[in-house]
Amino acid sequence: MTTNRLANPIKKFALYLILLMICMIIFIPLLITLFASFKTSMQIGSEFALKLPESFNFNNYKVVLEKGKFLQGLGNSLFLIAVSVIINSLLGTMTAYAINRFDFRLKKIILGLFLAGMIMPGMITEISRFTIIKNLGLYNSIWAPIVIYAATNLVQLYIYTQFINGIPKELDESAMLDGSSYFKVFTKMIFPLLLPATATLAIIKAVDVMNDMYIPYLYMPSSTLRTLTTTLMYFSSSKFGSWDYLSAAIILVMLPTLVIYLIFSKYIFKGIVAGAVKG
Amino acid sequence: MKTISMQKNILLFGFLLIPVLLLLMFVLYPLIELVRISFTDWNGMAAQQVYIGFDNYIKMFTDSSDVWLSLRNNGIYFIFHLIMIPLELAIAVLLDSKIRASKFFKSIIFMPYIINGVAISYIFAFFYSPINGGLNGILEALGLESLIQNWLTNDSIVNISLVFVSIWRFSGFHVILFLAGLQSIPQDQFESAKIDGANSIQNFWYIIVPGIKKVLEVILFLNIVGALQVFDIPYIMTQGGPGHASSTFTLYTLETAFKFNSFGMASAMGITMLILIIILNGVQNRLFNLKGVGEE
Repeated sequence: MTTNRLANPIKKFALYLILLMICMIIFIPLLITLFASFKTSMQIGSEFALKLPESFNFNNYKVVLEKGKFLQGLGNSLFLIAVSVIINSLLGTMTAYAINRFDFRLKKIILGLFLAGMIMPGMITEISRFTIIKNLGLYNSIWAPIVIYAATNLVQLYIYTQFINGIPKELDESAMLDGSSYFKVFTKMIFPLLLPATATLAIIKAVDVMNDMYIPYLYMPSSTLRTLTTTLMYFSSSKFGSWDYLSAAIILVMLPTLVIYLIFSKYIFKGIVAGAVKG
Repeated sequence: MKTISMQKNILLFGFLLIPVLLLLMFVLYPLIELVRISFTDWNGMAAQQVYIGFDNYIKMFTDSSDVWLSLRNNGIYFIFHLIMIPLELAIAVLLDSKIRASKFFKSIIFMPYIINGVAISYIFAFFYSPINGGLNGILEALGLESLIQNWLTNDSIVNISLVFVSIWRFSGFHVILFLAGLQSIPQDQFESAKIDGANSIQNFWYIIVPGIKKVLEVILFLNIVGALQVFDIPYIMTQGGPGHASSTFTLYTLETAFKFNSFGMASAMGITMLILIIILNGVQNRLFNLKGVGEE
């Protein structure tokens, strides 16, 4: 911790003032939307945007839930998250174990592939990936995003590597001497010891999948396959897309990630900082 | 021993087969395809793809002012985010000092980064809305009616409006990265500096700046990649409009592919972007090392 001398009360006051102003800049647009979600269209048109709603009128939310198919969207998003996170964690730990504990001929090439995956500009890739997904018969199926989300990336591999390097190799060896196979070493020892890293990466993946827009939008146009995010996009262009209903829909779509954030913020900080700085 | 080495091979094969297949199919092959398609006139559907050499690239550089307009807009995002970096560092230094509730402020400042980007875009579309929008309402309440604008339809300010959303969303993330960098600086460096009678400006240049060099490099890299790939904010809020006034390179590229079915042209743009990222990052690393901000 850097110790700035804050003996001077004026300095201290200025400091808190700055931080409070930043918080205001962050909260004002959010509050306007939150307030609007409890107002009628008439009130939104006539009242000051930051005026508190007269009552917590959940009518907008009711309409949104009835007409917007947001629960279906939530269901699809949760399914995508669950399957992607499980496959991604398994593949990530397996790859990290294989790459860090063994020497083999293709190792450099495989690492090169991961590097290529990292410098590829995200959305641009979809131009050529689109055809591949189509030819595989995955277009307009929930498995299209899953095959994309499930793949391990270099940042994840890096974080797992840090953890695996912290596990003494002697542990593997003594387990082997006791008659375990490599596979057993992985399932009984490495995988459980990697769980803290897996938890962090899983939470970050969940937030990423929940918030992703373009992949589900491009590959799953069918109305029954919409995620929470794409449901919001279609809802905004429907006849219910006026600000009263749309505000309620926005708040509903924000909630899941905010809840994840509030509960797991420690993991999210750790994972995102490690991923960005080390990656 | 033979069984062990066989066991090893089986394990490597079993553990790496799927990850490698996924990489080959969804990373390497698309990259190669992108290069190949960029030399064709493919429309995304026709069975036939005619190779036309560098025509797409030539056309892009000579005959498509909208591409350049879009790329200029990416430049606006880049510059404003660059200007924000010292400010973000300053906020991180504030948060790192011994203040009450610093955890609370930290969580709030980082929060926009976690919120759904599409939701953020709609929130700000509402905020900027000319009819009963929040921003104009606030300006009116403050007696600043003269500043009231059509924030998203006036082509001379639409980009600034969108850049503000991008800053609102990503600055907190940078602050948290800077904070992590600051906290990795060993405390005894400040103590010995204090003994040597260093003032806070010297502390900043000789301890803080070298200490966060790595983080700064990361943020500059993220800024290049991020600014070149801006997509969802303009896509949701303005669809690149009015006209192409707030289009960005990625937005224009994806529009070329999926709206106008010029997959060949779009691939050429995609490859151009990849090259741009590599070049800009190289230049930046060069500049960075020339300045020699601290030695490791």
